[in-house]
Amino acid sequence: MKNKDIQFLRIMHLSGPNIWTYRPVLEAWVDIGDLEDSPSNTIPGFYERLTAWLPGLIEHRCGVGERGGFLQRLREGTWPAHILEHVTLELQNLAGMKVGFGKARETSVRGVYKVAVRTRNEQVGRACLHAGRDLLMAAIEDRPFDMAATAERLRTLADNLCLGPSTACIVDAAGERHIPFIRLTDGNLVQLGYAAHQRRIWTAETDQTAAIAESIASDKDLTKSLLHSCGVPVPEGRIVDSPQDAWEAAGDIGLPVVVKPVDANHGRGVSLDLMTQAHIETAYAIARAESRKVIVERYVPGNEHRLLVVDGRVVAAARGEMVWVRGDGRSTIIELIDSQLNTDPRRGITEDYPLSVILIDEEPAIRLELTRQGYNPESIPPSGQEVLVQRNGNVAIDVTDTVHPEVCAMVCLAARVVGLDVAGVDLVAEDISRPLDEQRGAIVEVNAGPGLLMHLKPAQGEPRPVGRAIVDHLIPQSESGRIPIVGVSGANGTTLIARLVASLLHLSGRYVGLACSDGLYMNQRQVERGNCTTWQAGQRLLMNRAVEAAVFEHPAASILREGLAYDRCQVGVVTDVSGADTLGEFYISEPDQLYNVLRTQMDVVLSDGVAVLNADDALVVKMAPLCDGAVIFFGLDPQLPAITEHRAKGGRALFVRDGQIMLASGPNEASLAKLSALPLTGAGQPGQHTASLLAAVGAAWALDISPELIRAGIETFEMDQPVNPHFGHATHNH
Amino acid sequence: MQVTRIRALRGPNLWSRHTSIEALVRCSAEECHVTGMSELESQLRARFPEIGALRSIGDQGEISIAHALAFAALGLQAQAGCPVTFTHIAQTVEPGLYQVVVEYTEEAVGRLAFELAEALCRAAAENQPFDLASALARLHELDEDVRLGPSTGAIVQAAVARGIPYRRLTDGSLVQFGWGSRQRRIQAAETDHTSAIAESIAQDKELTKKLLQAAGVPVPVGRSVTDPDDAWAAACEIGLPVVVKPRDGNQGKGVTVNIVARDHLDIAYTAATEISTEVMVERFIPGHDHRLFVVGKRVVAAARREPPHVIGDGIHSVRSLVEQVNSDPRRSEGHATSLSRIHLDDIAMASLATQGLNADSVPPKGARVILRNNANLSTGGSATDVTDDVHPEVAARAVEAAQMIGLDICGVDVVCETVHKPLEEQGGGVVEANAAPGLRMHLNPSFGKGRPVGEAIIASMFAEGDDGRIPLVAVAGTNGKTTTVRLIAHMLTLSGKRVGMTNSDGVYIERRRIDTGDCSGPKSARNVLLHPDVDAAVLETARGGVLREGLAFDRCDVAVVTNIGMGDHLGLNYITTVEDLAVVKRVIVQNVAPDGTAVLNAADPMVMQMAAHCPGPVIFFAREWLHPVIATHRAQGHRTVFVNGDAIVAVEGRFEYRIALAEIPLTRNGSIGFQIENAMAAMAAAWALGIAWETIRAGLGSFVNDAATAPGRFNVFSYRGATLIADYGHNPDAILALVNAIETMPAKRRLVVISGAGDRRDDDIRQQTRILGDAFDEVILYQDQCQRGRADGEVLALLREGLAGAKRATTIDAIDGEFSAIDSALARLTAGDLCLILIDQVDEALAHIAGRIAEAH
Repeated sequence: MKNKDIQFLRIMHLSGPNIWTYRPVLEAWVDIGDLEDSPSNTIPGFYERLTAWLPGLIEHRCGVGERGGFLQRLREGTWPAHILEHVTLELQNLAGMKVGFGKARETSVRGVYKVAVRTRNEQVGRACLHAGRDLLMAAIEDRPFDMAATAERLRTLADNLCLGPSTACIVDAAGERHIPFIRLTDGNLVQLGYAAHQRRIWTAETDQTAAIAESIASDKDLTKSLLHSCGVPVPEGRIVDSPQDAWEAAGDIGLPVVVKPVDANHGRGVSLDLMTQAHIETAYAIARAESRKVIVERYVPGNEHRLLVVDGRVVAAARGEMVWVRGDGRSTIIELIDSQLNTDPRRGITEDYPLSVILIDEEPAIRLELTRQGYNPESIPPSGQEVLVQRNGNVAIDVTDTVHPEVCAMVCLAARVVGLDVAGVDLVAEDISRPLDEQRGAIVEVNAGPGLLMHLKPAQGEPRPVGRAIVDHLIPQSESGRIPIVGVSGANGTTLIARLVASLLHLSGRYVGLACSDGLYMNQRQVERGNCTTWQAGQRLLMNRAVEAAVFEHPAASILREGLAYDRCQVGVVTDVSGADTLGEFYISEPDQLYNVLRTQMDVVLSDGVAVLNADDALVVKMAPLCDGAVIFFGLDPQLPAITEHRAKGGRALFVRDGQIMLASGPNEASLAKLSALPLTGAGQPGQHTASLLAAVGAAWALDISPELIRAGIETFEMDQPVNPHFGHATHNH
Repeated sequence: MQVTRIRALRGPNLWSRHTSIEALVRCSAEECHVTGMSELESQLRARFPEIGALRSIGDQGEISIAHALAFAALGLQAQAGCPVTFTHIAQTVEPGLYQVVVEYTEEAVGRLAFELAEALCRAAAENQPFDLASALARLHELDEDVRLGPSTGAIVQAAVARGIPYRRLTDGSLVQFGWGSRQRRIQAAETDHTSAIAESIAQDKELTKKLLQAAGVPVPVGRSVTDPDDAWAAACEIGLPVVVKPRDGNQGKGVTVNIVARDHLDIAYTAATEISTEVMVERFIPGHDHRLFVVGKRVVAAARREPPHVIGDGIHSVRSLVEQVNSDPRRSEGHATSLSRIHLDDIAMASLATQGLNADSVPPKGARVILRNNANLSTGGSATDVTDDVHPEVAARAVEAAQMIGLDICGVDVVCETVHKPLEEQGGGVVEANAAPGLRMHLNPSFGKGRPVGEAIIASMFAEGDDGRIPLVAVAGTNGKTTTVRLIAHMLTLSGKRVGMTNSDGVYIERRRIDTGDCSGPKSARNVLLHPDVDAAVLETARGGVLREGLAFDRCDVAVVTNIGMGDHLGLNYITTVEDLAVVKRVIVQNVAPDGTAVLNAADPMVMQMAAHCPGPVIFFAREWLHPVIATHRAQGHRTVFVNGDAIVAVEGRFEYRIALAEIPLTRNGSIGFQIENAMAAMAAAWALGIAWETIRAGLGSFVNDAATAPGRFNVFSYRGATLIADYGHNPDAILALVNAIETMPAKRRLVVISGAGDRRDDDIRQQTRILGDAFDEVILYQDQCQRGRADGEVLALLREGLAGAKRATTIDAIDGEFSAIDSALARLTAGDLCLILIDQVDEALAHIAGRIAEAH
């Protein structure tokens, strides 16, 4: 019985750098069974069906290297695993998660392939993979497939799971600066940088945004009184408790006035430019529906502006504008809004559009605005008659370059008075390029956690790098947000090396995190027993705000199963390429295949980092050119060719000469310690730890730990020294 | 008895440093002698026995009903629990009219106490009943309502003990410590460094647990559940017993612990859903609830918390045992005392049910009956201080938890058998981290000693020796205040400080005017001290604000009194004599910090006498270097500033610093006497502030006193070859000083334009023209904008009276309107003439003059 199906044998999410790429991928092991005998060119109508459902495949260049490359391969004949790769990528693109990388590789078993596709979200990736399989089978078997519904479902899934636009722009800006990030929740709480050097953001809120400042900002009356005290122009006003009181307050303040809820959001319940008792009382009711407290203020004429302040600087400014329709003598106002305004391609329901669709039913203020002009939504204005629909439409016209310096100073003062590091300041003025006092402009609100979208996708004018401003505020240009990370890969002695490096780092005064086969350690305190070479355990170290340096042990299997826990490291150590025979479950048996796994460790060394490599293993030596940073070779024998050649070029190496550990830089060499004096390699110890000791010393050297400290560390380190199971250091002060 | 005006003195004032209610009380002749009113005193005592003797110790004077009112208002507050002691009754110049001053701690309570005291006095006088109990209850309730809560109160007290000034920014718990750029804020046990994100994390128990686990802090495992069935499934996965709690909650609301059965879990699930839509099930960690209070990287207090419970006696029901417990006077409703009452509500009933009991069961002797499975004080639990028992490893986990979440102040809830052992040894864990934790259980635990947690929070905000203050200079006096204030601000600016300044022209922050008009009162001063960009404050402190509200600050570094002279505004507000005025202007001197300085005019006897009232050292200044006060002060080695030859000299012991008058443009080469005095006062103040002498010299040299920078302060213009001087002088001293200054300036013919302000005494208005009439050839009188209560023409008539018998004036004209008067004067001028224009509407008149000068060019 022939089996023409695509079956998933295993799906793994490689969350960190892996054998395929630097970025997270979904790796699926698929068995295509007898489809092995049915390349694409042999299935009638397959090409047409597939390209009809996924016309975007034309953009896939594939190995051919040009637009249409993949389609060419389809026509020439390619196999389902490869097609699945491209279909999954395309479905992710349709879901709104742009990805490009994919690979499909045969294994040693007929019909079994490994398919890897880049994914920005594991759940979305998995859904696309499964949908891709169904789509592909439908195309193969010439069955119908509801492409529209599938795309919609995947898009919704992606929308729910991906970062909001404000957060995403900050995270992207961090990416531009090569600052790593970790999502701490399914929501928008994100950690930028690692461990002790991390900073947190939650949309446009930072970990420096004070809770008190937020509570002040959310109390408009308090904000206004503080601003007024400090000489920031604000519209005078007071809280009112009834429609009558609102009218009385308007009398005290002077007409026209604004009526709005004390804690309004997004202009909800706000009515402007009110002149009559009837309008003021109606406006009171509208505002009261949104909030317990209603405020009446002097109406400040002019356009609404939003200025974004980050760390005492105005980084973007946007202006709103009046929105009008022009009567044609036939259509109602609702129809005019639909035909003249809502047809604007910049208008849409979702946050992705710079302008929102105008729905009268959701904006009571529009109705009020119409009433004030003597209309209702069903009125038919005479031909040529202009009707004001929104006094302040979406604030989405970029005016950053025109803001007067005095306005900037005033807006920054407002943020400072409230106490916010990131603030969206709402300001009303006729002309933002002139000082406020000469035009009686005023600051009407200071918002914590402001939306960034209006600056990222303005309806008019150029986008502003506001995400970058926030990242630079949190992590100054001179810093990377990283801590020193040491990764140790290989088979022999890696646990010992990791522990020894952690111990040396600890000795240098740092709070050290260690994830190895023995467990998880925080500052020498074991907090978890058992194998902790997992991605999850590694993440715990990188999330820990106390950790100032981290050491990771990586057996090949953990790299294959999950990828590395970090994106880049300071020091990468590879001990040996051996044990390929134990990785059969991953379809790996040859040293060359294992080499491809372990080289991942070299791929992630930072350009100012160091690779510490075993000079006595030819495949390890072969990895040296893959490292972006410097290389230190270690070996028992000073005459190993890798060592002598490296030293000849001025490189660093360490080895044993005359029973002493020697550190060599180019032609110079210096003794570090006598092996016989060390607990690990001294009398009565088998010689097996010497190479591990050299590797650990090499890593410490790469981290600029002083030779004296290294010597002291290795003189006191014992293989079986009891690790205090739970207790670290009762108090530690930085 | 008639209470005609009530004021709240919100800072140091004429009477004392205490915040006080000041009222004007008019008594009939009979009411001025309580002893003569039959029975009044005994009637008062019958209604309010704690009223005390109606006189201050040592006071031998007659007792009026105003005294009775004062002591009643004070006594009522004291009985309601407010710590107040000060009262003062002052007879005004008007017979039967008293100023009554009574200290308060909360303005609203003080006002209400005054109202109730008045009612009490009336009741006593008219032999009507007075409900003392309800009056005290109202006061007590109001006080509870408006005063700071216990947590915020403890932090504020700690700040006050450190000498850090504070100000409530709202009726709630938002408080500003310190001033200007050195200020910090708190809101209950939350500082302005408490991160909003960290608070959100602490609110999310699951995220908290995830992060704490990442940091290696032991936590109870668990998960969110969707319904009671899922909750039960989770409980079975985790292993019984379990805890059920709302995902977002506080004060332990909706939390049920030690659940072992399905039916109990269902009740718990319902209780949790009432607090939050998301419910969690967790491993139950046996042991006691502990709260570790972390500030920065230190555990500063720890308490073991017991749920509300009763101990059976084999006789009484649970209900009556609860009543017995609640009769403990330490138990009250709310947060005020060390314990709260226990309520037999649904949760208590459910808890009883799990123990096989109900409210009417009689538990056996010695049985411990738990009435609620959480230990919050607010629901009747108790707290025992265990700070000294905390094992360093337990403290380390608590600190790591707070740091991981990112809270500078954090209440870490730990469940374990004892804090004496590491958590890992006993299977204990951290169950929650709380932002803005309550301090009550540490300040005033039910058992054990209180801990200085407020002090710890203040210490985390202000380094040792930092009191959050900025240099503060207060300037008072009859004339020269504004110029002195400007000059001091100018020198402070040159010394690198961002200066906030108030004066009678406005409020200035770093030279920018943020408010206009007369800003020499406490409100403007408070605004300067609130401003985040102010490194030093120079505050003109006029008499009006001191009388109305007291000072805006508790103390100042430098108090400058320029002069009192013949006084100004006499007759207003029961300030009738120069001596009375001196007492008002003295308030800033009395409130100089112990390490601060008073700068006093030695040549003015009233000012000189203020030295005795200054808690700190004094710098005397005077033009005459041989003035006896200067000479004596100098001989004693104290600081003095005076004129010697062609220079102003500062001397202290052997130290001497000279600045030539020629270097100080303000003095016009030493020709304008009052400006020399202003320069000396400012120089002395700068010296007191420790500003470098080079900076002081540069400041005096670069100070510009034109219409733009110092409007109405001896602004000199040239008009068609004549000299124009515009000044806002408006009292005899100022005019005398102007005349003295102008006499040194050569002129063919001298003209003066003057009006009189209606709120001066008749004689003060006449006095002004009396001086001018002897110095000017032509006088143009005009009526100013605001006659301040005077009839039309009344002031002009007084001005004319002053000119009767003038030695020099030959021409006297009266013109309607300030601008017309100015125009009329300008029209008469020829080259070489001099014209002094005493302007009223400063900005408008200066603009008018500037316009005329521009036209002339």
